Amino acid sequence: MKTPFRLDEHPRRPQPLAPPPDQYFHQLPLRVMQRVQAPEPTPGFSWLSALPAPLRMALATSVVLGAFVGSFWLSESALAPAATAPDTLAAVPRHEMVEYLLASEQRLSLTDLAELPAVERILPETYLQASPDEVQEVLDAQPTEDTYL
Amino acid sequence: MEDQDILAKFRDPAARNVAFNQLVRKYQTKVYWHVRKMVIDHNDADDLTQDVFVKVWKHLENFRQDASLYTWIYRIATNECLSFLASKRRKFFLPLNDVGAELAAKVEADPSLAGDDVELRLQKAILTLPDKQRLVFNLRYYDEMPYEQMAEVTGTSVGALKASYHHAAKKIEHYINGTD
Repeated sequence: MKTPFRLDEHPRRPQPLAPPPDQYFHQLPLRVMQRVQAPEPTPGFSWLSALPAPLRMALATSVVLGAFVGSFWLSESALAPAATAPDTLAAVPRHEMVEYLLASEQRLSLTDLAELPAVERILPETYLQASPDEVQEVLDAQPTEDTYL
Repeated sequence: MEDQDILAKFRDPAARNVAFNQLVRKYQTKVYWHVRKMVIDHNDADDLTQDVFVKVWKHLENFRQDASLYTWIYRIATNECLSFLASKRRKFFLPLNDVGAELAAKVEADPSLAGDDVELRLQKAILTLPDKQRLVFNLRYYDEMPYEQMAEVTGTSVGALKASYHHAAKKIEHYINGTD
């Protein structure tokens, strides 16, 4: 019958694994001294290596997600429709608009003015900056023939 | 050279390098084998042993001598080993057994164990222990470190260490007798 293994009866080997290469312990102090005497690495992204692995992973994920959201937002902005016509017209100073109409011989008929509020109610308010009563009053004062604005 | 002499010399900037060189020569064998028994592979043990002494260099100035220099260095080495094994598992997303299997394969390939079946089974049995229990077993069984010093190294109570060693020895005997 085989004797069961007992740890306290087993001959102990203080160094149970294969020894390191020859001269290892002779060279190790020199290699350690070289490492401790080496100049500190220049600061840059070396701080990343000092972070714990989960934090590095979270940081990398945030950067990738941020880049994705940023590129998506930028592409959306590029595809966004231009400002609406009333807004664009409202941004043009009134005197420039009058000068343009006078110089380019563009004529605005009473019919145009009559149709304008029906097309876009905001336009006369923002562009003409006059109340409907004021517009009506000016129209009543004009002769029936076409006139410059 | 006594630890106190090394420490006194280290505080003198002109003698610092000489003192540290003496410290490395004094403790390198113990640190290397302590690390080697935990990580098995010589190259890993070499890297970690150097890392341990680099940390000793960085922090020796602030060493307060609450513990002996010997147990303080062992504590640094122990933490390096445990961090290395933990990061190895995280890095490769491996479950516990796979790192154990990797270490067992290295033990099987070790030329000094060739032909010694009982010793090989003992080494494989030790690798079945959880890292911290394996550490306790190594400190007591191979380094014959007193429990009080082990308590300083591991930050665990003497009672807990005795219980841990006792359970480790039983597990090892059970493993070896079960693989007959």
